[in-house]
Amino acid sequence: MSTCTQIQDWLGVQTGISSQAVAAQWLQLQIQASRLPELTAALVRDWQAEFATLLVEEEESAVDACLAVYYFFYLPRNGCLLEIQIRVQPGEELPAISETVHAADWHEREAEDLFGLRFTGHPFLGDFVLHDDNWPEGVAPMRHSFDGLHHPKVQKDSDTEWSPPQILREEGAIVFPVGPVWGDFHESGLWMLETPGEQIRYLHTRLFYKYRGVEKIAEGQTLDRALLLVERFSGAAAFAHAWAYCQAVERIGGCKVPARAQDLRLIFAELERIRHHAANIAEISGSTALAVAKAMAQDIVEDLLRLSARLCGHRYFFGVLTPGGLHHDLDPWRQNLLAETLPSLDARLHELEHLLKNSSSFLDRIEEMGTLSPELAQSYGVVGPIARASGRAIDLRLTLPYGAYATLAPTVPIAQEGDGYARLRIFFSEIHISAELILKTLHQISAGPVHTPCPTFEGRALAWVEAPSGATFHWVHCDAAGMVLRLRLGTPGFRNWHAFERAVENAAFQDFPIILATWGLSVAENDR
Amino acid sequence: MLYVLAYLLFASGPLLALLPGRRIPLIFAWITMTAGCVLMIVQGALAVGGPVEQSLIRWALPIIGTFDFVQTPLGGLLILITAVVFATALPFVTRDATVFSTGRRTLFLAIVMLTLVSMIGFFSASTIVSFIFSWELAALAIWGLITFETRHSKPVAAGLLTMALSELGSLVGLASLLLLAGAAGTTQLNGIAAAIPHLSPMLLLITGLLAFFGFGMKAGIVPLNVWLPAAHGTAPRSISPILSGATLNLGLYAFLRIDAPIALHQPDLGLVILASGALTALIGILYALVERDMKRLLAQSSVENMGIATAGIGAGLTFAAYGHPLLGGISMVAGLYHMINHSTFKTLLFLGAGGIEVATGTHNLDQLGGLMRRLPVLGGFFLAGAFAIAALPPFNGFVSEWLLLESLLRVVEIPVVPVRIAFAISGAVLALTSGLALTCFIMLSGSALMGLPRTAQAAGARRAPHSVVIPMGILTLLSLLLGLAATVIIPVLGRLAAPLVGADPTATLVPAFFHNTSRIPRAVQQALDAIGAHVGAVFMPVRSLIVMHLDSTAPVVYAMSAALTGVVLALMLGGVWLVARGLRRRRSSRNILWDAGLARLRPEMTYTATTFVAPVRVIFAGFFHPHIEVEEERQGAFVLTRSYRGVIANISDRAVLSPIIGGAMAIATLLARMHKGRMNTYAGYILLAMVLLLVIVAAGRG
Amino acid sequence: MSFWPYFGLKRGIKTTSWPSAKEQSPGITPGRPRSASNASSNATTQLCPTGALHPVETGVSVDLTHCIHCQRCRQGPHALPWEDDVAWTVNAGTALSPLGYRFRRSLHVRYIDAGACGACINEARLLDAPVYNLHRLGIFITASPRDADVLLVAGPITNAMCTAVRKAYSAMPHPKRVVGMGVCAINGGIFGENFACVGGLQKIVPVDLWIPGCPPPPLAILHGLLAVVGRTQCTTAEELP
Ligand code: SF4
Ligand code: SF4
Repeated sequence: MSTCTQIQDWLGVQTGISSQAVAAQWLQLQIQASRLPELTAALVRDWQAEFATLLVEEEESAVDACLAVYYFFYLPRNGCLLEIQIRVQPGEELPAISETVHAADWHEREAEDLFGLRFTGHPFLGDFVLHDDNWPEGVAPMRHSFDGLHHPKVQKDSDTEWSPPQILREEGAIVFPVGPVWGDFHESGLWMLETPGEQIRYLHTRLFYKYRGVEKIAEGQTLDRALLLVERFSGAAAFAHAWAYCQAVERIGGCKVPARAQDLRLIFAELERIRHHAANIAEISGSTALAVAKAMAQDIVEDLLRLSARLCGHRYFFGVLTPGGLHHDLDPWRQNLLAETLPSLDARLHELEHLLKNSSSFLDRIEEMGTLSPELAQSYGVVGPIARASGRAIDLRLTLPYGAYATLAPTVPIAQEGDGYARLRIFFSEIHISAELILKTLHQISAGPVHTPCPTFEGRALAWVEAPSGATFHWVHCDAAGMVLRLRLGTPGFRNWHAFERAVENAAFQDFPIILATWGLSVAENDR
Repeated sequence: MLYVLAYLLFASGPLLALLPGRRIPLIFAWITMTAGCVLMIVQGALAVGGPVEQSLIRWALPIIGTFDFVQTPLGGLLILITAVVFATALPFVTRDATVFSTGRRTLFLAIVMLTLVSMIGFFSASTIVSFIFSWELAALAIWGLITFETRHSKPVAAGLLTMALSELGSLVGLASLLLLAGAAGTTQLNGIAAAIPHLSPMLLLITGLLAFFGFGMKAGIVPLNVWLPAAHGTAPRSISPILSGATLNLGLYAFLRIDAPIALHQPDLGLVILASGALTALIGILYALVERDMKRLLAQSSVENMGIATAGIGAGLTFAAYGHPLLGGISMVAGLYHMINHSTFKTLLFLGAGGIEVATGTHNLDQLGGLMRRLPVLGGFFLAGAFAIAALPPFNGFVSEWLLLESLLRVVEIPVVPVRIAFAISGAVLALTSGLALTCFIMLSGSALMGLPRTAQAAGARRAPHSVVIPMGILTLLSLLLGLAATVIIPVLGRLAAPLVGADPTATLVPAFFHNTSRIPRAVQQALDAIGAHVGAVFMPVRSLIVMHLDSTAPVVYAMSAALTGVVLALMLGGVWLVARGLRRRRSSRNILWDAGLARLRPEMTYTATTFVAPVRVIFAGFFHPHIEVEEERQGAFVLTRSYRGVIANISDRAVLSPIIGGAMAIATLLARMHKGRMNTYAGYILLAMVLLLVIVAAGRG
Repeated sequence: MSFWPYFGLKRGIKTTSWPSAKEQSPGITPGRPRSASNASSNATTQLCPTGALHPVETGVSVDLTHCIHCQRCRQGPHALPWEDDVAWTVNAGTALSPLGYRFRRSLHVRYIDAGACGACINEARLLDAPVYNLHRLGIFITASPRDADVLLVAGPITNAMCTAVRKAYSAMPHPKRVVGMGVCAINGGIFGENFACVGGLQKIVPVDLWIPGCPPPPLAILHGLLAVVGRTQCTTAEELP
């Protein structure tokens, strides 16, 4: 709290920018576009501010369709959220901040593609969300004027001469494509390895092959239907995303979620984290051809899925959350089931961890593999386990506590190496910590209802959750009838894929799938 | 006499080019010169089958002694090869000469003819004087060819390097000749050979090594082989086929002529030749693999092939020295055979590279690709050349390399352990070389002919000139013939090898492999031999060195026979075809290329020469020792470009040449203070100095 | 020194004996709503956000190709009965016969992710987990559609993936079958048909079988793959009460 006033003072004194506190730990400020780069650079440099998300909204009332652009930052040390607002007139360009706040790089590219908002000083705009070979130039789908039902036809004569990006200058080097369809069950995406052969010199990730336009199609739908979308755009972390969404809706409606629902939400979220990480471990083992370890991890994943289905009716927590609480309660029998099953699952994971850590041939393949140095991690603002494996102690459950975490803060494991092994260790540690957290919560679970009706008002709100793969920021804007006007999904996958490009440099070809597995990123979560 | 007629034609060809007109005079010149080549082909063929020695010129010059030229079967073979190479290269040479002015084209053709003439002279020289004279003349002419296009400075540098090394080699070789002549008391090469049994082994070893490394330089033998790719890579494109196809043989012939008699009495020399050959082959192919410039790649591969031929010669001489002249003959035949083969397929490939350069304007592999569609005929012949050089049957490279590797196995007959080890290592190195050569030429033909065109130049390749394609066709046919008719050619070569190793391996029957080993029961042996004999009698109407004996009445097959391979291969292919036909479904379907679902596979995404051989580069990183510079261009946190520039310095450059050049440069600067002349006048000085040295020796003897 | 084989053996056999025996481990499937002769059919049908419930004369019918497992119709006074089975595969209408004898123990599958969320992918990945072990049924995943007999596609078929799906289909040798898994593949599911999704695999390539579900559990996927070769039978998409 104190830092919010601190930074408010600093803003007023040092920069002459006035800011309003809209809530406890939430500052709002409007500035001129020209001041943006300098201000954001200072925030990151002097206040170690973390970039949260960038969102653009087309002003509903304006005749000439102004754009409201919001930059969200938070100060991890003291939990203060900063909302920087800029109004952009039609035809106006924004100065890019990603040269210094590199975490905003992809956000700017995305805004350019989806809103047609130009950024000056960004070297790599274009062909990002909307692929040049599949989308007509200059059509911005997130604009209200765009008809979200139909795909704009690409003119056949403007034949799509897309060519891969190349930053490598080396004789005879090529761009080796991996994807979009590759491997056994890999998600679709194109990874272009710049290489003179054998060694990867640089990677360009071209995602959004799975772009489903979720943010666009949510517009004009009811809050309940949008919830179904939020649950299903990234099924591996459905609960976390739905939770962030529900929090935003609850914030707009000003409803107070019952304590029991908060506890159960924590339990399910942590259960999802365990399953998510266990699935990553299965993939890592599989990528290094450790069939037995993979089988062991898969077994655990399957048992966790069955446990979820028994607890709440769905293997992936679909249809569990609702604004105001949960759809159904956990009866004592199921509470018991969880309390009895979880320790044994955790013990199996401990055993697997022990075996893997003593398997030198396995460690050889993930140690110093896919390393993201702490400096790069900082610069790219990675989140979640990836960040924590590269020495960044950030976790929204601690820095901006929400729900039951306000009283029950988890410990956050940290590693410094930033390599595959560090990530594996973080996955395991978080699993154990989550298991502990669940059992602890279960032990002292509150009684009472699990749902309270949530009224709908016109309003907008940002809410966040530490999803299994990291900080998630969802923004909901709805009208009084409960219709969504703007849904913004700020996902951890979008943040971490950005940095993934830098982790494969100088790796050998055959290590690429291993590195990919140790990062454990979801394309679906990125593509939305 | 054919020689006189041919020489007249060689002389009048360039003169015809003096006539006014752009094309017609050159056509006349070409016809004339080609006629001369044909005459020399006939003469060479006659010589191969002719008497052991037939004197051509005998001049007793005052002071320096006899200046004799003698026609021998071996010399005849080399003349034959040289003439074939020139005949097939001449169309391209004259085609490219059209861009020159009348005077320059005459000079150009004159130098080409001078090269040919001096080479013919060298292959028939029989005294030290004529030997060195022709050698130097050839060196001068070659230097003239390489530096002919002096528009860029690179060829000049390459030409100078060639000249400097050539002279270095000549000096070393000359020193050995002088030592021998002094000890033997004659300048006649035959005389020296006759005196060798009476000379001290130490002297023999020293002179043998000097001659080998000195003259071998011209063939690109380690350690002095860096000049070769530099020179051949930068020579005018129409000259490269001649340089690689013909002039390299000068070096082989030179050391063979001098060292063969020595090695029979100095077994270590043969081993050194074998090991150097194997090493040269490996180094050559390794550097070929990392080249992206087609001409330099082919030149490096010439180093490899010269190494293989040298290894054959070395093995042959070693066998002979250890009292196995028949086995020696086999290796020697393999070496000579490989020399012939190299001349055919390398001329073919260099012509192809030249044709590609004409069609696309580049010889950088990374800028080519997909040429098979645009240049199907040239591409087909080029592919055949690549097959041949990669030792794939039914082409000729297979025959000689297989024969060589097989003959190396027979080292079990030599009871000396170090020799066996040397053979084993050399054999392994050569086998590795063959494997790498296959990779290399898959890379070459793949990245030039297959896939997608990587640049606009490659995509818009023009038609290749007939002057390239037709000779390539002839050479392809030759390669095929040399591959299929091995059993006919081997006896001929056997006869040529006889004077070198002391026996004709095809004239006498050689004991079978594992014969009389106690481990195999006699009955089994006899049964096997009988089966072999039967097979041999059925499939091999021509007696060749593949024929071995059980007893004097029943010849048995022990080794590869190209003819037999051909038959077996044909049977196998036929069988596969029949089976495939039998199994084939009624419907066959053509399907799209699976590119992992990309909207379009871009040329940037297809393998280049560089990426194809990357595994080799990585495996042999310690050998290549690349020096890589990384530079990054940034804008804030963005990486805009990242450049990697890697330089691979040749190992002999690093280990041998740099120190030598350093020293030489010091001396050169010293000399430059005294003379301010052009480099070719220095070349003249050196020639003069040689003559002077000869005079001194001759005087001392007199 | 690796003891992994020993660790593996130590764990014993985990594989289900389905389809030869019934599999009823709790949680192995999320189950699905079944049609019911419910008095308040209108109230029930209104529960469904995707219109999967249709009022019919006798009650409420469930259109499984539209059910996204939102569980809205599972509680409350108008709840539908819920059934724990995995035989969900339905015929998509190409009317091609099952692949038959030659493929019964050697079926090669190419999986394509055409915009699926992590859930469908994760269920597909579990196919080779020891519990399900698709190899024991003679089903194999291949890297190239060139070797594939079956194309298994999940997700609402994003526009950017259309080319890939089409190319993969045409690269496959005959005879070939296409299976769409997940409600998304059938009709776009919750994403529907919009500017970014084609919403329905059959708009791109001919489809033989659907495996409904959101996501279909591994056994349901196996059921679908076995139906391709005729080892299991399809059910109906919409069952009347
Ligand atoms: S579970 Fe299926 S049928 Fe029931 S309401 Fe949800 S979508 Fe409709
Ligand atoms: S069907 Fe359901 S689980 Fe499958 S991809 Fe679609 S939303 Fe995800």
